[in-house]
Amino acid sequence: MALVNPSFLQEVKASKEFNATACMNCGVCSAVCPLEIDLLPRKLFRYVLLGLEDKVLENTPVIYQCLLCKMCEANCTADVNIAENIRFLRSYIGRKLYKL
Amino acid sequence: MSARRIGVYICYCGGNISDYVDCEKVRNAIAGEEGVVVAKTTMFACSDASQQEIIEDIQQQKLDGMVVASCSPTLHLFTFRGVANRAGLNPYLYVQVNLREQCSWAHTDVPAQATEKAVHLVRAGIAKARLTESLDKIRIDTVPRALVVGGGIAGLRAALALSDLGISVFVAEKSEKVGGWVAEMGRMYPHERRGSDLIAKLVEEIGARENIKVFTHAELTAKSGSVGDFSVQLSVADQTIPLNVGTIVVTTGFGSYEPAPGEFGYGTEGVLTLPEFKRLLDESKGPLVYRGKPVNSIVYVYCVGSRGSSKKEKPNTYCSRYCCNAAMHASSVAHDLSPSLHQFHLFRDIRTYGKYELLYEEARSKGAVFLKFDEQQPPEVEKVDGHFRVQLKDQLTFGDEIQIESDLVVLVTGMEARADKSLNDVLKLPLGLDNFFKEIHPKLRPVETVIDGVFIAGAAQAPRNSAESVASALAATAKSAALLKKGYVELEPLVAVVDTEACTWCSECVCTCPYAAIEKVTAGSKEVAQINSALCKGCGCCVPACPKGALGVKGYTDRQIRAMIDAMGASHE
Repeated sequence: MALVNPSFLQEVKASKEFNATACMNCGVCSAVCPLEIDLLPRKLFRYVLLGLEDKVLENTPVIYQCLLCKMCEANCTADVNIAENIRFLRSYIGRKLYKL
Repeated sequence: MSARRIGVYICYCGGNISDYVDCEKVRNAIAGEEGVVVAKTTMFACSDASQQEIIEDIQQQKLDGMVVASCSPTLHLFTFRGVANRAGLNPYLYVQVNLREQCSWAHTDVPAQATEKAVHLVRAGIAKARLTESLDKIRIDTVPRALVVGGGIAGLRAALALSDLGISVFVAEKSEKVGGWVAEMGRMYPHERRGSDLIAKLVEEIGARENIKVFTHAELTAKSGSVGDFSVQLSVADQTIPLNVGTIVVTTGFGSYEPAPGEFGYGTEGVLTLPEFKRLLDESKGPLVYRGKPVNSIVYVYCVGSRGSSKKEKPNTYCSRYCCNAAMHASSVAHDLSPSLHQFHLFRDIRTYGKYELLYEEARSKGAVFLKFDEQQPPEVEKVDGHFRVQLKDQLTFGDEIQIESDLVVLVTGMEARADKSLNDVLKLPLGLDNFFKEIHPKLRPVETVIDGVFIAGAAQAPRNSAESVASALAATAKSAALLKKGYVELEPLVAVVDTEACTWCSECVCTCPYAAIEKVTAGSKEVAQINSALCKGCGCCVPACPKGALGVKGYTDRQIRAMIDAMGASHE
């Protein structure tokens, strides 16, 4: 059971970088990912949008696996700034998990 | 020998018939039938050239009967009646035989038998044509007044439009004031104007019209007469007011679905239906507060009471259509009041049809999150420490179980037909499976009912938003006005008739009539049945009920039908 965390949601909404609300779950990003990361990014962004902080933190290693190559971003049909969103999450994890 | 002179035309339908039915063989088989003067085949009987040829035959050969063996009467009965009319032949002396649907299309694998069947059918048609009679259309002078039942936005707009066209209007509203649901509403989609303002403007405009009279606390209690000339009775407070109107427009609106106790937590403080939530929004000036507590998050559950999802005994199976749009719009309004609000929409399917997709887009861009549940696994709502805990399996997050805490739960409830059916006892309008009033055809005749002169519009007919209701109200207005402005209506003469000699007024027939067209009159020294030919549709339900055989339908007399059966069964080997 994943819990919606309102304060995480608040932070996501307040940020100017994270813009995945337009994501329609088409899956092109997952298909073109050279690392064949199954989770990234459509499932991950779903977790972020819903405010499922636990799920996001659980997947910290995968979030750091990303090359930021922007293959997904170039192919995104909904103009989601995928790479920028990943950087936002890394920054969040850095603050939250590693107290940077 | 029959003295009749009949012309018979067998149509090829460009191969639709002739590919399977040997039309020449049919023609040869029937050419010698009693009374047949002209027997021809034609490539397209409905073409201009063929129509002209038939007209010339009728005039030169002095025909007094006509049979076209072609397609379904639905398609071309009126075409060939028109041909007869133009040739100076009474249109009711024409008989259509359906070879295409009943022979060639039905029996593509057995052409010989299809041809044989065609011969029998044409012989039956000729037998009927020998016994046809000239009939005249029934003409009724119309009264240039209309009654609008129900003073919601659709009714008020219809009244204004009828008034614009010079037709006097009576508006009967059951409650103490006009305006209906819309009068109570604040910001509405898609125009973002306030419902109360819209109604105030309509009411002001109506007040300035001399030819509109509004009755409140009014109910329609009786109706008699027929299209163009109805006598109705309104019960207004304690008074009974008789009115004489040409048409009736029914715009009685809808009821809102009320969930069963416990349905998604309904009955608990903080679980609201969509109209209740809309009221909360309309009353709020700033950030949302419910019963003194600030609202930080809202969960919406869609399709409550619609599409078979109800805890009630007879769930509504239809999609109520307007609720997705209304909920999207409410979500945007809520965001505008409290920008920090978290909103979760739990849906089965989103149907923001047409331009209302923009409402969906707007709600999403304002931060609303959408989660899809399976109808077999609906969300569970429980109240824990003053908050709601909503759990569901979100199909968009790959079936993960998700738990949301919220301050309010909004049940996105749909529209229902009005529970009060007393109006229906008076008007005898048919209802659809969903209990809303039923039109003749949803696309081709969307505001007409089987009762001529009675029109339906707005959400009395189906779930609709205000803009759609007004559009249909204007359609009903146009139909009403077209009927009334002409000054008279002409009706089909194919109606039931009573043989007053045979009739003994046993009243067996009365309950068989779906249109209440049979009444008792005194003819000479005895009481007999009389058919109101303006109400009768010629359905024939009453005919077999008569123990004396005193009833018949014009154009389908017992003699004609017997002759057709005899002709069809006769052997011609």
